[in-house]
Amino acid sequence: MKLKQDRSMILFNIISYSILASFSLLCVIPFWLILSGSFSSETSVIREGYGILPREFSMNAYEELFRSGDTIGRAYVVTICLTVTGTLLGLFLQTMAAYVLQRKDFKYANTMAFLIYFTTLFGGGLIPWYILMVRYLHLKDSYLAMLVPPLVSSWNIILLKNFMKSIPAEITESAKIDGAGDFLIYRKLILPLSVPGLATVGLFMALGYWNDWYLCNLFITTPEKYNLQSLLFNVLKKAEFLQSSFAGLVTTEYYDPPKETIKLATAVIVTGPIIFLYPFVQKYFVKGLTIGAVKG
Amino acid sequence: MSLLIALLLAAFAFSACGGKGKDTADIGGEPTEGAAGKPSEQADETADPTEKPLEEAELIWYLVGDPHADQAMVDEELNKKFKEDLNATVKLNFTTWTEWQSKYNLLLVSGETVDMIFASTWADFSKYAKMGAFQDLSGMLPEYAPKTWAEVPREDWESATFDGKIFAVPCTNPEFTPNGWFYREDLRKKYNLPEIKDVASMEAYLDGIKKNCPDMIPIEQGLEIPSLFRWSNRYEPIAGREDDLVQVKSYDTPRDVIIYPFTDEYVEFCKMTQEWAEKGYWSKDILSSKTAAGDALKAGKCAVAQMNPATAYGYFSNFEKEHPDWEGGYFPFSRLKGYSIANSPMNNGMAVPKSAVNPERSLMALDLLRNDTEYYRLSWFGIQGYHWDLSDDGTEIVVPAKGQDPIKNKGFWTTSWGWANYKLNLENVTTWEGKTALVQEFMDQQRPNYLSDVKIDTTPVKTEEAAIKQVQQKYSSVLFMGLAPDVDKAIEEYRDQLKKAGIDQYFEEIRKQLFAYYDEKGIE
Repeated sequence: MKLKQDRSMILFNIISYSILASFSLLCVIPFWLILSGSFSSETSVIREGYGILPREFSMNAYEELFRSGDTIGRAYVVTICLTVTGTLLGLFLQTMAAYVLQRKDFKYANTMAFLIYFTTLFGGGLIPWYILMVRYLHLKDSYLAMLVPPLVSSWNIILLKNFMKSIPAEITESAKIDGAGDFLIYRKLILPLSVPGLATVGLFMALGYWNDWYLCNLFITTPEKYNLQSLLFNVLKKAEFLQSSFAGLVTTEYYDPPKETIKLATAVIVTGPIIFLYPFVQKYFVKGLTIGAVKG
Repeated sequence: MSLLIALLLAAFAFSACGGKGKDTADIGGEPTEGAAGKPSEQADETADPTEKPLEEAELIWYLVGDPHADQAMVDEELNKKFKEDLNATVKLNFTTWTEWQSKYNLLLVSGETVDMIFASTWADFSKYAKMGAFQDLSGMLPEYAPKTWAEVPREDWESATFDGKIFAVPCTNPEFTPNGWFYREDLRKKYNLPEIKDVASMEAYLDGIKKNCPDMIPIEQGLEIPSLFRWSNRYEPIAGREDDLVQVKSYDTPRDVIIYPFTDEYVEFCKMTQEWAEKGYWSKDILSSKTAAGDALKAGKCAVAQMNPATAYGYFSNFEKEHPDWEGGYFPFSRLKGYSIANSPMNNGMAVPKSAVNPERSLMALDLLRNDTEYYRLSWFGIQGYHWDLSDDGTEIVVPAKGQDPIKNKGFWTTSWGWANYKLNLENVTTWEGKTALVQEFMDQQRPNYLSDVKIDTTPVKTEEAAIKQVQQKYSSVLFMGLAPDVDKAIEEYRDQLKKAGIDQYFEEIRKQLFAYYDEKGIE
């Protein structure tokens, strides 16, 4: 049923739509320039800069990126597997921890929460952590080196714990009376009710895994195991090196520095999947915003 | 619950599995000779230390840079040969260029098993050698790398020696890497501009380009200007630290050390660049330009790009291929000084970290790579018949081999600089033919390099150094590119700030270390 719109409503609509539209344009235009630039030829970008439409259409940048055969394809597979496995496993572990911590009848809840929080206050630094990973856990050049460090974070546990606290404790109690074990309660009752929280934390974790290049760079030495971001970052860093003062000291005859358009194509390849994924997860965000609002 | 514990245990078990492979290398790699450090029992050098059959070993080596896409292919071939000759395989790992300095540091400091690693003056070789990160090779070299030991001249070993101990094997590749200008020679001829041989003729060239080519800008990046200043005034950098404010005033007066922003020449130069900026030789926003000068040059947008000779050769070849109607010219700044200086032999080398388990085998492998033609060509150029072929006269290589698609197969190259040996090197047929003449010029003008082997340790003044770098970042580019509105005032501020940052203490410390080095070497 369409409400009759009076003058002020129309005015309000016009103003708000135009503000939102201009704001959205501000966000979209840079990305659009990257997209169009990635489809342009190198010389046109250097001579004339970026444009809304490619001045000289060319698939050169993408061809070069994908020419290295299956390197990018493989890196894609590595990253996707890591993201999916890491997010699922991490959610599993973290929600279990959160579930236990929010149970009021768990005697040591406060102590455990404190201990978990305590570990975030200080750290040993890069070198001790590296020594731990490489010499004691033997994770050098292993997929686990990329999977394990971001798996469980105390911040996420606390976030999930607080989210689960908003679920009425009566549900758990009545399930217990009916004779359900803890794992069943967790699996069948608490998890489905925490979907917005799961989506939020899950998205953060997925983004973290997707964007990570540091772990790969530090620990992986076999090119087959490189993940996507690390591979593409290497390409850019090589160009930076060639422009630095070191380049004057080394023979760079055969080094072909990546060109502007390749950097643009890189950006598109990397953000593309995220842009596709986001609309699917969006509805959970919206639900999550309002779910705790109205009680009773 | 128990499922959980089982999962956790499984995860840890798998991680332990990942480590097992490495452990066998540790155990199986026990050196057959405990001869490290002990003098060889037989006096003659040709004695083969491998009379006992060698145990199998896997050597873990690290190089800087990125692996080539075909690296695995070449590694397989190399390892076939290594297995035959030494019963060992070499696993080449690369640090990539991302964060390579911190990774290099981690490799050495964490005590990870590394049998051999690339070492160089620009990879802080002296710092790590002093720290004790490398093993002393003096005892092992004559026995396990006899060819290298005999071939490399005594002065080269000097550059890798600290406290009488040799910490690395330098490469044998006299390298001349002066800064220089690569410029559009065809434009110079077209507009009858004078030949480039000093600052005045450079100015004339820039002026000519500016007036005659409205859609080009003479200078794109601005790296050229600070080095032009240093080279035209004939300053010598200490220990290869080109960007440092402390320089030696001239090659012939080693003890005359200056801080260049405080000189009159600096004021003159900055005023000149201010004129140049006003005339429009570069754009006003040059400081934020991210385009590489080389790329702009190739796209026809600018006329000059700074580069060392090696990179210039690449540009000559590129012009021949892509812009046959253009002509490139190269002016090395060594002509401004009238002499050239070879890089330190430790510009590229290989060192053995403390954590190595197979130093002797690694040295033997290095000996092969450096001196055996087949090993050298395989590790530098790739697989003969696929990546390259010998040219008809046998002195050069053709890349890629006949019958290969040059677009898909661009040949092979890798950061094998650590074992460079110019005697075994083969030039590519497409290399610019002027290269030999240029290298000859450098060798003719060569003077001994007494400055880049100096090892300067700035730890006692590292706070001053950091503060000075900050001040330098703020003022230096602006002044060099002539973008400061009032040059005298800006220079005064710059000098003032430097004094506050502690330039005097910094200067004193460097001078002290430099003079101590001179005294040791007997340089007046």
